[in-house]
Amino acid sequence: MKSTHLTDEMLQAFLLKEIANDSIDKHLTECSVCRAKLESYQYLIGSMQKITPETFSFDVTTIVMNNISLYEKKKSKKQELTFWGILIFLLIAISSFSIPFIPNILEVFYLKSIIPTQLLLGTGVVVLLFLWIDIIQQYKKKEKKIFNNNLQPIL
Amino acid sequence: MSIEENHFSDKVIVTNILNGNIQDFAFVVKNTEKLVAQIVGKLTTNEDDRKDLVQDIYLKVYQNLYSFQFKSKLSTWVANIAYNTTINYLQKKKIPIIEIAETIEDKYKLSENPELITIKTEAVGILNDELAKLPPLYKTLITLYHLEELPNKEISEITNLPEGTIKSYLYRARKILKDNINHHYKNEQL
Repeated sequence: MKSTHLTDEMLQAFLLKEIANDSIDKHLTECSVCRAKLESYQYLIGSMQKITPETFSFDVTTIVMNNISLYEKKKSKKQELTFWGILIFLLIAISSFSIPFIPNILEVFYLKSIIPTQLLLGTGVVVLLFLWIDIIQQYKKKEKKIFNNNLQPIL
Repeated sequence: MSIEENHFSDKVIVTNILNGNIQDFAFVVKNTEKLVAQIVGKLTTNEDDRKDLVQDIYLKVYQNLYSFQFKSKLSTWVANIAYNTTINYLQKKKIPIIEIAETIEDKYKLSENPELITIKTEAVGILNDELAKLPPLYKTLITLYHLEELPNKEISEITNLPEGTIKSYLYRARKILKDNINHHYKNEQL
């Protein structure tokens, strides 16, 4: 029997083909202790591949998708609140700055000729109509996207 | 599946999700669930904690998907998030991930040649028990290497540990397992 044995690291590396060495081969043919150790590792590694993999006892996809759906709802609510906050702030700011100019604006409507008044009102109505149609189109587009993307997992 | 095909399908899924097709995220969950289960399952034992961790992990994946650079497989990236989230959880709970109170080799002086003990057919069951006794990090590394058959490079990307450290932990974990199993049989024979 040899006085010095192969280390566990060497045996494992040899078994996993991480090292190839003739001297290890030679030692193993001569040393029954190292051979037995190698067999133990061989059996251990073989058995490890037969272990049942870990699984979750709950439906991961459903839980995760529900959580993400909730997150998206919270996110859109936050975005909506921010949007309205900014809009209200802008309206108040614009209104405050407009106060000194209100008499000048009103003067336009007191002109003797009716044509500029009608022109102004007509342009205003056309712009409003255009904006209204655009808002409806955007809304329908988003509604369709939400309908197609109803957050249900594909299983 | 080749690396290129993997990257292509990863790109398609990620692009779809980022374009607003949230239901495609279910594909990510389905494709990575098994790997995440190995990591979370080996690092934690409490079922409620696992449920919370899984939700936390996938929410992080969803929130950070825009930052995924396609430098690795999507599954490796998700596994890395799973590993870091679980390690943070263990650190918060002050659960050690490497140290073990007393290994069998410290506890008992094993005989000169315990390997000669006959290994029986119920070895897998015993191995499962002994594997459960290992420190969380060793358990995870053993599972990723031997069960998931991931190369050291990929395990390194998941755990952020150098490949050399992973190798050394794996050697030590296998040695502990072998010694503990041998000790188990030795006790049975007495």
